[in-house]
Amino acid sequence: MGLDRRGFVKIVVGGVAGTLFTPVIWQSLDDVSIWSQNWPWIPRLNKGEVKAKAALSKLCPAGCAVKVKTVGGLPFAVVGNTANPMSKGGVCPVCAAGAQLMYSPARVKSPLKKVGEGKFEAIKWEDAEALLVEKLTALKGQNGKIAAINGDETGSAGEVISGLLAGLGNSGYYMMPGEKFVAEKGVKLMGGSGQPGFDIAGADLVLMIGADALDSWGTTVANQKAFAATRPTGAAATAKFVYAGPVLNHSAAVSDKFLPVPPQATAAFALGLANLLINAGAVSSASDFAEYKALAAKYTVEEVEKATGLKAESMKALVDLIKAAKSPVVIAGASFGQGAGALDFVAGASLNVLLGRVGSGMTLLPAAPKAVAGATSSDKDAASFLAEVATGKAAPGALIVYEANPAYALPQADDMAKTLGNIAFKVSFSTYMDETAALCDLILPAPHPYERFDDALNPYGVAKPTYLAGKPVVKKPVQDCKDPVDVLLGAASKLGLSLGFDTYADVIQAKAKALGADFDALAAGGIWTGEAKGGSLNLGASALAKVAVAKTDDKTLAVAPVSNQANGSATLATPPANLLTVRETELSGKDLIVQMNAATAKKAGVAEGNKVKLSAGKGELKARVHLNEGVAPGTVAVLLGFGRSAWDEFTKGKGDNVYKILTVSDEAGTGLKVWAGSTVTVAKV
Amino acid sequence: MAHGATKEFKVTWGMVIDLDKCTGCGACMTACQVENNIAPMVDASNKMRTLSWMLVFELSNKKSGAEAEVAYLPRPCMQCGNPACVPVCPVIATEKNEEGGIVSQVYPRCIGCRYCMAACPYHARYFNWEDPIFPKGMEKALSPSTSARPRGVVEKCNFCHTRFMQAKDKARQDGGNPEGLADGAYMPACAEICPTGAISFGDVKNKEHKVFDLAQGKDAFRLLEKLGLNPQVYYVSKREWVRKLGDNYAATGKPGAAKKHS
Repeated sequence: MGLDRRGFVKIVVGGVAGTLFTPVIWQSLDDVSIWSQNWPWIPRLNKGEVKAKAALSKLCPAGCAVKVKTVGGLPFAVVGNTANPMSKGGVCPVCAAGAQLMYSPARVKSPLKKVGEGKFEAIKWEDAEALLVEKLTALKGQNGKIAAINGDETGSAGEVISGLLAGLGNSGYYMMPGEKFVAEKGVKLMGGSGQPGFDIAGADLVLMIGADALDSWGTTVANQKAFAATRPTGAAATAKFVYAGPVLNHSAAVSDKFLPVPPQATAAFALGLANLLINAGAVSSASDFAEYKALAAKYTVEEVEKATGLKAESMKALVDLIKAAKSPVVIAGASFGQGAGALDFVAGASLNVLLGRVGSGMTLLPAAPKAVAGATSSDKDAASFLAEVATGKAAPGALIVYEANPAYALPQADDMAKTLGNIAFKVSFSTYMDETAALCDLILPAPHPYERFDDALNPYGVAKPTYLAGKPVVKKPVQDCKDPVDVLLGAASKLGLSLGFDTYADVIQAKAKALGADFDALAAGGIWTGEAKGGSLNLGASALAKVAVAKTDDKTLAVAPVSNQANGSATLATPPANLLTVRETELSGKDLIVQMNAATAKKAGVAEGNKVKLSAGKGELKARVHLNEGVAPGTVAVLLGFGRSAWDEFTKGKGDNVYKILTVSDEAGTGLKVWAGSTVTVAKV
Repeated sequence: MAHGATKEFKVTWGMVIDLDKCTGCGACMTACQVENNIAPMVDASNKMRTLSWMLVFELSNKKSGAEAEVAYLPRPCMQCGNPACVPVCPVIATEKNEEGGIVSQVYPRCIGCRYCMAACPYHARYFNWEDPIFPKGMEKALSPSTSARPRGVVEKCNFCHTRFMQAKDKARQDGGNPEGLADGAYMPACAEICPTGAISFGDVKNKEHKVFDLAQGKDAFRLLEKLGLNPQVYYVSKREWVRKLGDNYAATGKPGAAKKHS
């Protein structure tokens, strides 16, 4: 029996039809589609129980009280801690990226010793600690020979570092510049003392002069929560927000009014406002009111218009808003959180005095008890210190850098880095390979915030004394690191000093006890708050008499550095999980984009997309131009956080560093080094 | 689906984003990237290649000086009631057929033809040009919620669908009704993290949910309503110029017409 053609066709057609009725072909297609995407290099997800543990996430300057979500014990995400009254469930964009930062390629993996230009070798912890002790022993007792720069404004680590220095007979303890330092100087000029605070939650009008309070100033998340509470979606707002500053930034975007004020003219703006308020009947019982009134009278609307470009109507509308408010508060600061003078602060704060809001809108925090007996405070910032090193007035033989990046984040950054490089022995306690660590002779890796004990006392801006503390979320750090404070306490003991503690955890527990707080409750995500102290302030008239408005001409522009928290900070390059937040109007490939308004660009002879060079002092910055009508006249806005020379493939060599073109000047009457309001020349390249 | 053929669901998950509260901080974008395991890109400034399931746009009123204003507009997938992407998919990799109205994206089915991207007027869909390669060790910080997608597929926001499943599971465990979740029981990562609470989320058909009233408020609008895609994402702004940019002028074809969404 043979198979004829007809029979063959029948079998084939029947076979094909039959196959289509079975699930085989469809199942196979499905399998192929799944397995064709199932390559070994596609990462698999982690399995295990999902938990959320309270943590103090000190990745942003103020620190966020958060919950770290873990799967099988491994952190993978950060959510807000709704039980914490300060963050109320909010998280800033940097802390939102915290879990991924534990695995950042920029992390220092083990202690490193410099063996040549840009070359390091991994060494054991015992050897690293022995080297540190050896260097400190050699310089012990010689005042001025050992110095320390601390970039952590809120942690008790500062007490240990300054206590250690004092024990070694040295007074060279310096903080990285920040608002707190300047504001405390300002309060002194107003006859008071202590750290000022601002009650945004209790205000019905918040006037931000320079201070980007809803993105990068003070306790950002708490500020944002206070703002949000006044803006129920779909209902009427219960408070007004006004932003007066050089750039239409994130705070200005949601404010009821934005008033463009160039960075060098914020004090003039505040005094012009004071003049209008006094003319409208504002009086103060402050002892220097007459002097203040006479001073403010010089800041007529015409003068203010000359200094700021603001029309009289804008100023008068603002005065009407302030007069209508029951509980206004004025917050003055630099648009990027540092470099402003004390006079800028005093000019803004004097409005609170004039409006009778000291003690309510603007508060003063009492001095907090110390945990470390020998701790001292810093009377000079790191910029002033390094300026002295550069001129030979200071000659330290050893420098301890803790959580700070002075080689990147100080004005005329290249010069600062050079000066740092000339110090004989430098040790950096850093979680990441930042620009300063890359210059140091010894790098001691610090744990990531979710791997360590840490605390935060009175983050700048809080209206009441506030204390937060946290403990590690994970059992073991990802890298071979040790807590810097533990290392310093160990070194102190080997140097024959006793600071009274063996570990940082002990220091923090003692601090909590001294404040009357319960450490366990804090570590579980709680908060301790005290009461602001009473006391009055004068209007700072005698200091304000020295306010001078820096002149710019057609050839120079004022620089307004802009800080977007998502881009990181001085001590943190843009985290890998935040790279998407950088806009195409901010960075293009490796080109930084600077912004100015069309009229300013025309005067400077540049246009949209032009490549330009901004120069000031010895520094230069290369960028492209983007026109933005939200930038004050005569001002160029430059985003902070770019132009990294260390870190990782995601950030290194991207854009340029605005600190390179900031120039330092001495503030009249206060002796402070200031760089907000620096000017630059712009040239097309 | 033809125009007007909006598929009705008893539960319609929707978002109401208050543009007057969004500071543009970017926390929603970061939380989204973390939740959905989007690998960091070395050149994230190349916006033709990045994957931004949630993207915050900057809007400007184009005025200068003290008249200048900007607003930030977070843009997730609109989960349209009548999606343009679904009918064009040749392999049924994207569907709208689950209670809740979330437009799915089935990666193993996706053949990467990108018709859906061309169809989506909100640019909410992204093509995966690269395999998801994380820096060494960072794969230990992957979220257990979302599988990593290979290159060659289109991906998009799904209102953190795993959280929806988990919320339903929890309701079942607690003896509740998984088809009638309480307000706040299910919350996408962006809405959960937003520090100003600009993003509200819930069932826009459920009177018990906050978004029910918010979506019908006088200042609420949706993007490109004239296209009739019936998005499930609503925006709120008291600023007229912001609402005008939402293209809410279907009635007359003139910007600023009073026509409101249906």
